[in-house]
Amino acid sequence: MLSLLQLCDSNFPTGAFSHSFGLESYIQEGQVHDPATFASWLGVYLNQQLVHADGLAARCVFDAVQGNRPDEVWKWDRLLSVQNLARETREGTQKMGDRMLALIESMYSFPILSQYRQRIRGKASFGHPAVVFTMTGHHLGASREDTLVFYLYSVVVGLVQNAVRAIPLGQTAGQRIIRDVQEELPAAVDRILALDEEDFGVLSPGIELSQMKHERVNIRIFMS
Amino acid sequence: MKDWTGILRLEAEERDSRTVARNVYFQGAFKVMRPIYHDDSGQPCYYLLNPGGGYLDGDRYHLGISLLENARLTLTTQSATKIYKTPNTPAYQETEISLKKGSYLEYIPDPLIGYEHARYDQKTVIRMEKGASLLYCDSVTPGWSPEGTLFSYDTLRLRTEIYMDGELAVYDHIKLQPAGQPVDGLGFLEGYTHLGSMLFIGEKADAGLLDELYSAVHPEPDGVRIGMSLLNVPGLAVRILAHSTQAVERIQAECHHLVSRRLFGRNPSFLRKY
Repeated sequence: MLSLLQLCDSNFPTGAFSHSFGLESYIQEGQVHDPATFASWLGVYLNQQLVHADGLAARCVFDAVQGNRPDEVWKWDRLLSVQNLARETREGTQKMGDRMLALIESMYSFPILSQYRQRIRGKASFGHPAVVFTMTGHHLGASREDTLVFYLYSVVVGLVQNAVRAIPLGQTAGQRIIRDVQEELPAAVDRILALDEEDFGVLSPGIELSQMKHERVNIRIFMS
Repeated sequence: MKDWTGILRLEAEERDSRTVARNVYFQGAFKVMRPIYHDDSGQPCYYLLNPGGGYLDGDRYHLGISLLENARLTLTTQSATKIYKTPNTPAYQETEISLKKGSYLEYIPDPLIGYEHARYDQKTVIRMEKGASLLYCDSVTPGWSPEGTLFSYDTLRLRTEIYMDGELAVYDHIKLQPAGQPVDGLGFLEGYTHLGSMLFIGEKADAGLLDELYSAVHPEPDGVRIGMSLLNVPGLAVRILAHSTQAVERIQAECHHLVSRRLFGRNPSFLRKY
């Protein structure tokens, strides 16, 4: 479990600190400006975007790795990439996935991870942190539920750290939001487990728009 | 074949630099009129009609469009697709589109209107060969309920999959469910009522075209929000939030115009309907 915690540390250098996934657009337009407005953005991001895309894909990737069905893993990697129509966010996520993969490969070695690496190099796959994290959770012997909850936690912590810098919020406010959101994570995992594969990638129109609009933002501290 | 409420099959090919139908078949609650050649480009425009006037409980529609090499065609509807209440089974529409090398399809339907207690499920699968181009539009709007409230539909769900040379290249899943989501809240429609989408896939969809589209529709008109971005394959997506059908259509028409200029160096014809 400690090994999985290492991946959730906001100091784990995947580049998450460079990506706001559209949050910066909301901050610039004044819709997110304090702990309360940020917490409601985070709730939507968690329960819509993360549950329907990353979370559902992670669940299916875990099962596919468990059942030794690599082709299904590659299918979910592709779906995660092609359902993301906002280029900055899509490319940023791919970079993070690639970065995370390289880091994990420097610490652990297992076949599906090496295959993923080779496929990304050969442009057969795209790379996504949810896929890398899930493969690693499985390799480390974590359960599917734990892998999901730790993955969601790692994303949420990264987003809160970014909000603390960008809005800005006090560190204390940031930690309070992390504590509050912890209570929502098991429910988010339950929802992921209850979804059909057909529910994958349901669009959050406002969030996508904010990600697309970010491409045209002149002054920025985040790459997405 | 399962029981479809309406079927349309349309297969078109290029003959002497004109696109002509090789096979047109429709049955049940779908009908197409004779194609109109709006100009001398050789590109016909087909109008799809739903003589029943709307989609009802359990209705199932199937569209199959196939363009052979270098064929060019516009498909639109004659009026909005109205989804009425579906107490037992959601209305369903399945569309399969196949585009061979060098072909170009413009699919520009009128908006979808979801009335009170409507449930609708749409699945569109498009298979393109490299060198084909596609302009694909959609818009989703709420109908007024008898009590005068918007967002009285239950679920409107539109799934679109685009394959390029057999590989999934675009996946779009819109699911609006006012009862189960804060549909006009943050992250969702954010106070807007109408959601429009446009995808343009093809080798001519590049960063330059994206810039042209962006300049044409920015600053955004009052009451409209527009996002656009480049896709994984040569192509771009435009997403529109608005308060009216006219606003969505205006933006889509503007983009259609620029896409058409980029592809053929000419303006598209106005799709006369009334």
